[in-house]
Amino acid sequence: MKKKQLLSLILLFIVIPLILIVGVTLFNDGKYTIISIIVVLIACIPFFLSFERRKPNAREILVIAVMSAISVAGRAAFAWLPGFKPVTAFAAITGFKLGPEAGFLTGAVSAITSNILFGQGPWTPFQMFTWGILGYAAGLLGKTFLMNYKATLIVYGIIAGVLFSLIMDIWTVMSYDGSFNWTRYFAAAGTALPFTFMYALSNVVFLLLMYKPIGDKLERIKVKYGIMQHH
Amino acid sequence: MALIKINNLSFHYPQQRIASLDTINLQIEQGEFVVLCGTSGCGKSTLLKQLKRELTPHGEISGDILFNDIPLADLSPRQAASAIGYVLQNPENQIVTDQVWHELAFGLENLGVDSMTIRRRVAEMASFFGIQNWFRKNTMDLSGGQKQLLNLASIMVMQPELLILDEPTSQLDPIAASEFIAILHKLNKELGLTIVLVEHRLEEVYPLADRVIIMDQGRIIANDTPSKAAAALKQLSVHHPMLLGLPTSIRLHHTLGHNDEVPLTIRQGAQWLSQHYEAVDVLPIEVEKQPQEPFVINAEDVWFRYDKNGEDIVRGLQLQVAEGEFLSILGGNGTGKSTSLNLLSGLLKAHRGRIKLFGKALKTYRATELYNGLIALLPQDPTTLLVEKTVALEFQQMTNQTEDIKQVVELLQIEHLLTAHPYDLSGGEQQKVALGKVLLKKPKILLLDEPTKGLDGYSKKILAAILYDLQQHGTTIIMVTHDIEFSAAYCSRCAMFFDGQIVSEAEPVTFYSGNHFYTTAAHRMSRHLFTHTVTMEQIAALCNTQHHVGVHR
Amino acid sequence: MATAFHYSTVSMLVRTLVGDEMKSFYDYHPFVIFLYFFAVIGLTMFYMQPVLLIISFSASIILALFIDQTAFFKTAKWLVPFMFIAALINPLMTHDGELIILYVNHRPITVEAIVFGFAMSIMLLAVIFWFTSFNKLMSSDKFLYLFGKISPAVALLISVTMRLIPRFIHQITVIAHAQKTIGMDATSGSLWQRLRSLMRIISILISWALENAIETADSMKARGYGLKNRTTFHLFKFDRYDGIVTACISVLFLMQVMMSYLNWTHFDYYPTFTAIELNTPTILVVISYTILVCIPIIIEIQEALKWRSLKSTT
Repeated sequence: MKKKQLLSLILLFIVIPLILIVGVTLFNDGKYTIISIIVVLIACIPFFLSFERRKPNAREILVIAVMSAISVAGRAAFAWLPGFKPVTAFAAITGFKLGPEAGFLTGAVSAITSNILFGQGPWTPFQMFTWGILGYAAGLLGKTFLMNYKATLIVYGIIAGVLFSLIMDIWTVMSYDGSFNWTRYFAAAGTALPFTFMYALSNVVFLLLMYKPIGDKLERIKVKYGIMQHH
Repeated sequence: MALIKINNLSFHYPQQRIASLDTINLQIEQGEFVVLCGTSGCGKSTLLKQLKRELTPHGEISGDILFNDIPLADLSPRQAASAIGYVLQNPENQIVTDQVWHELAFGLENLGVDSMTIRRRVAEMASFFGIQNWFRKNTMDLSGGQKQLLNLASIMVMQPELLILDEPTSQLDPIAASEFIAILHKLNKELGLTIVLVEHRLEEVYPLADRVIIMDQGRIIANDTPSKAAAALKQLSVHHPMLLGLPTSIRLHHTLGHNDEVPLTIRQGAQWLSQHYEAVDVLPIEVEKQPQEPFVINAEDVWFRYDKNGEDIVRGLQLQVAEGEFLSILGGNGTGKSTSLNLLSGLLKAHRGRIKLFGKALKTYRATELYNGLIALLPQDPTTLLVEKTVALEFQQMTNQTEDIKQVVELLQIEHLLTAHPYDLSGGEQQKVALGKVLLKKPKILLLDEPTKGLDGYSKKILAAILYDLQQHGTTIIMVTHDIEFSAAYCSRCAMFFDGQIVSEAEPVTFYSGNHFYTTAAHRMSRHLFTHTVTMEQIAALCNTQHHVGVHR
Repeated sequence: MATAFHYSTVSMLVRTLVGDEMKSFYDYHPFVIFLYFFAVIGLTMFYMQPVLLIISFSASIILALFIDQTAFFKTAKWLVPFMFIAALINPLMTHDGELIILYVNHRPITVEAIVFGFAMSIMLLAVIFWFTSFNKLMSSDKFLYLFGKISPAVALLISVTMRLIPRFIHQITVIAHAQKTIGMDATSGSLWQRLRSLMRIISILISWALENAIETADSMKARGYGLKNRTTFHLFKFDRYDGIVTACISVLFLMQVMMSYLNWTHFDYYPTFTAIELNTPTILVVISYTILVCIPIIIEIQEALKWRSLKSTT
């Protein structure tokens, strides 16, 4: 138990900085693309390991699988509206109701499975990490009283949409320049504005319309079948 | 030695005063094929769940269960998981993974079996069940029958000593159900596997059983060989809902009040009838009549396919329905009958042909008009209509006319369910709620997609009464079904669907007495004596008009 | 614009995971396939040296053509013009470089920037093409097998999710139909009405899914899920050929890493192009890189020849 926690810490605080330093110094022509992909992948490992270590029971697995599968299926159902995706909102709602770990897994697993179905690309790790971390953040916020207000839901939705867009832009910019370039970053962020807007809008719409119904359903399942009571 | 020994077992769900199981005493021997039956809520599923430790619900338990003379609670977790296999009702819900081979291996992975052994056992099972051809398929690409077979196989790889099945065929079509029962029979006869099966479709299973256990209100009321159990049932009141689920031959024997050996199969029933009654030439009860104009539905030469380049599913459908009819459309899987229902409801659009509703082309109706008092479709899965937290809210969401809601609730007799959560109801109750929602739109035409699927005999009878009531008030009903017996007993007209069109139609007596294979058990049992009897009641009525031969009443 | 393509690619990219046309490399152990694409895609993203870029780019196209021609042309049809435009935009944004062609708004347009734009576009195209092949060769069960090596619990979670997705997509249509007949139509009305109806459908789906999931969880428990020492079963065997190819890929990949470390693969576009000399290091880099990226193509051709000779002898 202790050993694996240590492993996570080592990964987060030693291996990742090490890769960054080695990457930057060794290959001084600044090939940050691959480095960033590897860093993002490694950053996900501690979350997976903690899930592994906890020995999740069948019902926990199923609830997270259901939430992930619905966000992917929902993405297909809303395909006619470009950029309009329920994934962030569903990961967040799962996070609010079932805790940070469930939030992270819902986001990350949604990213992995939708990419298995629709095709992997270099963006997979970024998507996995971003959606996961947004769900994780929601899990932390869900422990406070903040999320009972519509205003905070809207703020969360907008920030999450902008963050998602910005992180996805980082990889596009880096893959283009091989290094990070602020001018191009702003240009990319600028051209992606309509998408950023759609991400934020879809987050807000889904959160406002679905937070209550999904929340109620998750609560019911939690009470009726005693799921994830340890959170 | 008894494999299972249950001593004085009682069980209460939390916060319920009435015992769900009341001093059950039972022994199941090695290699027995036991059929457990009773109406829904009699405690049969609760009893099954007591036998599978991992699924036992919380509650107050007294008494004990011994498995191979060891208390069930004392088995090691590994032994408990592998020695007792459990197949549930819904084939879809039990499948855990996305690949057939992974599903087969799943239980063995959990038991910590090594790869080489898993490989061998999976190969063995796949061959026994004939799964090798779809071994590398995705589980989602299987048919319902294949899915349930996969569920059974993925339990059999764990080599259980006891196999428990809770209504495993209720979601399957009749052909898949027969195949599934045949495999169970084979497992029992060839491998000596002990089987405890809960079923409400007893026609086929009942005669196969070594022993039949009948439960009522948490108690065992009969526990004997099939024929003795059937005889014991005569002690029950004639109106006991349990009786509705029994095979036709037993019900007939029961109704006619004989005391000799009870016939269990169609063949025995036919022989028994010949021994006691004489052949009578009876003319068709009604002269066949075609529906008269004006038609509420008139479909002419309708063709449909899903893809532009796909095959036609519906090929030249002709269908005329008059007001107040109760039409049932029968036929095998994939013949296009459900698709036709969707065409009639306007959900799908035909690429050729005309459909008229009340004399006006279907496609000229606006959706708001069509689904607001003209036509309604009760889907196969009632939960597709359920969204609220209580049944009352479900109805209020449809209309604000409390008078209408009151009427519907009265018609369906569901006052006691109004405060319940829709997902806490039984399948039959959920269906009533869904039907209620649909009826609040006051449709003139009601379409039903396999409404009797998964219902026990008693719930079917109640459904029939509701539909009859609606029909009397002028509602036209069209039902797609696999349920031959139900359509023979309650419909005003039957139509046979095959290869994308209707190939024969008539009122039930003419329809079923004209069919040789695709007909009711009652007709198969009695056609050598009475040519036009298609329900048990009709046989009984004819028999009662004659003094029986070889009397020993 | 930049973000535009990570999504639109998704729908355009290959959908079917199992291609019959490609038997040989497809049948290699998942680890071999993963290692190959890891090495090749990693190096492709890393190398900016034009010769190496062209090698990777050509090989990615050849492999994609071997695996699924129609899918390749479908992707290429819209992606190539897109990348062409992206390449032309670069000189408008970067004004570094020494070979100036003309001035626009008093800003220099340089040959270096133009060439760099094209180099970047070719690199990105190559990466996308490599991924189209990767998606075909790395079927979901192979991916899950590899993932299970990192985390069996998450791999199971993914497998369960993969099982549910198609089931839910189907159920969405079923619910949509049922809702339509009681007057809740998700395909007509204003945008807001459609959205509301769709949200309702998803809400119904969630109830249904969560309640049914409990039974799935029961089915897992009934089959002993949660016991200690769970094993993971798979259908993959690591045979001699897998070993040989793994060794080849590893050696060639390590060679590339070494040579990069020695700066043999270095190439600058700014302030002006590095000269490429025809010397031993360059030749070594080019030959070993060519062999590495062509491994599946070599296997494929070998396989085709073997089949032909088998057929002709019978």
